[in-house]
Amino acid sequence: MAYQNQYRPPQYNNAPPDQSFLWNIFQRVDKDRSGAISDTELQQALSNGTWTPFNPVTVRSIISMFDRENKGGVNFNEFAGVWKYITDWQNIFRTYDRDNSGFIDKTELKQALTGFGYRLSDQFYNTLIEKFDRQKRGQVAFDDFIQCCIVLQRLTDVFRRYDTDQDGWIQVSYEQYLSMVFNVV
Amino acid sequence: MNFQGYGAPAAGGFPGGFPGQQQDPLYGYFTTVAGQDGQISAEELQACLTQANFSGGYRPFNIETCRLMISMLDRDMSCSMGFTEFKELWAVLSGWKQHFMSIDRDMSGTVDPQEMTQAITSMGYRLSPQATNSIIKRYSSNGKISFDDYVACCVKLRSLTDAFRKRDQAQQGVATFQYDDFIQSTMSI
Repeated sequence: MAYQNQYRPPQYNNAPPDQSFLWNIFQRVDKDRSGAISDTELQQALSNGTWTPFNPVTVRSIISMFDRENKGGVNFNEFAGVWKYITDWQNIFRTYDRDNSGFIDKTELKQALTGFGYRLSDQFYNTLIEKFDRQKRGQVAFDDFIQCCIVLQRLTDVFRRYDTDQDGWIQVSYEQYLSMVFNVV
Repeated sequence: MNFQGYGAPAAGGFPGGFPGQQQDPLYGYFTTVAGQDGQISAEELQACLTQANFSGGYRPFNIETCRLMISMLDRDMSCSMGFTEFKELWAVLSGWKQHFMSIDRDMSGTVDPQEMTQAITSMGYRLSPQATNSIIKRYSSNGKISFDDYVACCVKLRSLTDAFRKRDQAQQGVATFQYDDFIQSTMSI
């Protein structure tokens, strides 16, 4: 069943980047030379192709994914993970942005999410775009695309935790449901 | 038997009937922003509520809260709202606003977490302290909850409760979700 083995974006198994290559990038991004890249510094280093700042919610999610010490930033070791994560997403985005517009429209989004294994109605894609498209173009830019996938992933993770017999169904109390979902969406 | 914890429908309709002699004043506000299709988007809703000075002394609603309001009543997944829904929204919002104002005695535009907890309970929701705390945490800035955040929280609670109710066939406070449906219903909020 698709639910089992899906919704992890395809892992790109490129060779790990050269350490000195990464170190160069790290130094350039870590503007205040604190030894850790903060939300602000990462946001400034990333581009969503729209000349507007990268989605700060997405930046926060990425930093917290890799910040093992809860310090509010990533050090050089953790940065390797950040770099790979973003590079993977760039590859995915380019793959599905078939017309190379720099944005993912509804059709392309459908192909991407179906490719990840989600089974969502056509109507629902309208809702997704309305919800995540910060540029108000009816298409998603790179950062908003990542944000959409992150939220879908979080919901899936929380669902999985309750689906102990892995059959794609859960039974939850009202309270459990509110706690599961309130802070994710 | 109806599960008690869900919360009564929000109190507050039009106080004793609105001045509906000729035309519904709300209709005026609505048509000013709605286009040919008689539907309003989140941006238009924001404009509409601001024009109608709904927030009164409080800061106008931010766009994300307006988007939440649209999706609370968006039964056809069109991401827009017609006049009937708008009237329904206005009634619900008025009730919430009255309640907020009754708690915000110093008219600071914010309430504290305890007052928020009371508000949630008085709307009829029966939740554990932990559940309530995690909900409130999401909406407080510096330990305070603004009117906008309060409304966003109420909207979400109502939307999620509606979604849950639909899948609680036996009305026992337990719902069953299939994965695809879970994703779509939850993300639509």
